[in-house]
Amino acid sequence: MADNAGRSGGPDAVLTTVISLPELDERSLVIEAQAGNRAAFEELVRRFDRDVLRLALNLMKRPEDARDVYQEAFLKVYRNLHRFRFECSFYTWLYRIVTNVCLDHLRRRQARPEDQAPEIHVNRQEEGTRDFFEFQREHRPALDPERRLMGKEIRTRIALAMERLSPRERVVFEMKHYQGLKLRAIGDALGTTEETVKNSLFRATRKLRQELGELR
Amino acid sequence: MSTREFRMNCSEAAPLLVFLACDEVTAQEREALEAHLADCDDCRCLLAEEDAFQECAVTLSQAADELDRSGTLLAQCRSELAESLDEMAVPAEPRRWQPFGFMRRWMALRPGWSAAGLLAAGAILGVQLLQWLPSDSGLRGTAMPVSAAPRVSDDQLAKMAVSGINFAPSADAAPGTLQVQLRAEQPVVLSGSLDDVDVRRVLTYVVRNSDRFDAGVRLDCLDALRSRIHDAEIRGALLDAARRDENPAVRMKALEALREVAGEEDVRDALLQSLNRDANPGVRVEAVNLLVRSLELESVHQMPVAPEAPEAPDSDMPMVAPTAPVAIAAGRPSVVRVVRALEDLQHNDPNRYVRLRSAAALRQIGPPDVQ
Repeated sequence: MADNAGRSGGPDAVLTTVISLPELDERSLVIEAQAGNRAAFEELVRRFDRDVLRLALNLMKRPEDARDVYQEAFLKVYRNLHRFRFECSFYTWLYRIVTNVCLDHLRRRQARPEDQAPEIHVNRQEEGTRDFFEFQREHRPALDPERRLMGKEIRTRIALAMERLSPRERVVFEMKHYQGLKLRAIGDALGTTEETVKNSLFRATRKLRQELGELR
Repeated sequence: MSTREFRMNCSEAAPLLVFLACDEVTAQEREALEAHLADCDDCRCLLAEEDAFQECAVTLSQAADELDRSGTLLAQCRSELAESLDEMAVPAEPRRWQPFGFMRRWMALRPGWSAAGLLAAGAILGVQLLQWLPSDSGLRGTAMPVSAAPRVSDDQLAKMAVSGINFAPSADAAPGTLQVQLRAEQPVVLSGSLDDVDVRRVLTYVVRNSDRFDAGVRLDCLDALRSRIHDAEIRGALLDAARRDENPAVRMKALEALREVAGEEDVRDALLQSLNRDANPGVRVEAVNLLVRSLELESVHQMPVAPEAPEAPDSDMPMVAPTAPVAIAAGRPSVVRVVRALEDLQHNDPNRYVRLRSAAALRQIGPPDVQ
C-alpha cells in the first residue's frame, strides 16, 4: 500500500505534506490520485464505496453480482481517472460508471434467463385478490407481529415487481428512493436529461403500483 | 404563472402527483397542484395513495441491508480491490518481440494448411521474385569468359535447328552478347559472347553445314563470327564457307568476312581457289577485290609511305577503294601466283565483268613488267 503522505504530482500535491489524506477534500484527493498516489485513490474508494456497494446490492440482489459490479466499477475508475477533468463532481462521475456497469450486468442477466435470480415464491392466489394498501392500514407499532408479517409480504412483492422493471427504470427508482438522489443528479449519473429520468421514474412507479395491486 | 391564470384539471394533475410525492416538481407546478388539490377530492385521494406507496417503498428494508448487514461483503470487496490494484501496479514483464508471433501460433495449430501455404508461397516467390529484382542486382552480371565443358553435345548439334539469332537480346546485355535459339528435342536458348564455347560451336557448325541450315541463318552466323576472324577455328569455318557453301551470297559474305586477314596465306589460297573454281561471277569479283586487298596489306607492311593512286582506266568499273599501285617485289611467289591467276582470269573468264575487273586489278597492282 502507498504511504499516506502522498507524492508530489500537481500543484495541489503540496498540501499532502502537511495535511493527511482523510482531511483532504474530494478535489485534492482526485488530483493526488491522478498524480499516481495510490493512497489517495484508496481514500476516495473508502469515501464512496459503501454507497456504491449498496446501490449494486439493491439493484443486483445477489452479493456475488454486487461484488463484481464493485470491482469492475472501481477498476474502471482507477484506469480512467486521468481522463476526469472536473467537469462534474467526482461523485457524479463515479456514479455514472457504477450505473453503467450495473446496467450492463442487468441487461446481460435479462439476455440470459438462466442467470436470473431465483424466483421468489409468493402466494399468487392472494396476490390477485388483495389490495396492496390493505397491508398498510395498520401502522401502530403495538401491532408488531402482524406488521412484520405484512412488511415481509410487501417486500417480497415489491422485489418481484422490481424484477419486472427495465434495467434503467430499476436504476432510476433505486437511485431516487433508496439513494436519495435528485432527478438532475440521476440524469448526470446516467448521462441523460432530467426529463428522461422523470419519464423513467414515472413508468417505474406506474408499473410497480400495477404489480402491487389495483390502485385506481 | 399564477393560479388565477392557470388552473389544472385532473388529467393534468394526476401525472404530476408521483413527482409531488417525492418532491420533484417546480415551484409553479407545486402552486398549481396545491390549488387543484384544494378543490379536488379524487386527486387528493390519489396523492395520499402515492404518498403511502412511496413511504412504504422507502421504509422497506432493502436488499443491501439484508445481504450485507455485518459489512463483511464491503470489507471483502475492499480487499479484492486492493489485490487487483496491486496486480495492476506490478510492471508487466516485457514481452519478447516475436516476429510473426500470431502467424506462428496459427501455423502451429494448422500444420496441414501451413505446409500447403508455405509451398504455395515458395512457388509464387520463386516464379515472381526474379522479375522484380533490379537488373543490376548482381544476379545478371557481365558474362565472364570462362572455359567450360560444352553443354551442347555433338548429338544435339547433329539434330538441332536454329530458329533465330538475336544480336541484342536485351538493352542491358554486355556488348557482343548473342542469343541463339535452337530447336532440338527441347527448345534451347544459348546466350553469351563468342567466348562462350557453346555459342562458338553452334555458329561454326551452322557455317560448316550449309546443307542443313537456312541461308539466312548462315549469313547471320557469318555476321556474328566475323569479329573473331583471328580465331583459327572461326577462320577455318569461314574459309570452308567461302569454298563450299552452296549459296553464292554466303560464299561472298564469307569472303567479305575474311577481308581483314586477306593477306595471310591460307586466306589467299582460298581466294585463288574461288577465283578459279567459283561458279558465281560476283564471288569471283569479290575474290579479285580481296586479292588486291591482300597485296595492299602486304605492301603496307613492306613500304611505310605509298605513292598516290592513279585514276582508274575504266570509269564504269566498280572499283575498290582508290589505293596506291602496289609496288610489289615481282619475284615473291605469292605475288606471282596472284598475278598469274588474274591474268588467266583476264583472258579466260567467261564473264566479261570479271575479265574487266581482273584487268583493272592487274593495272592497280602496278609494275608493267609484272603484267
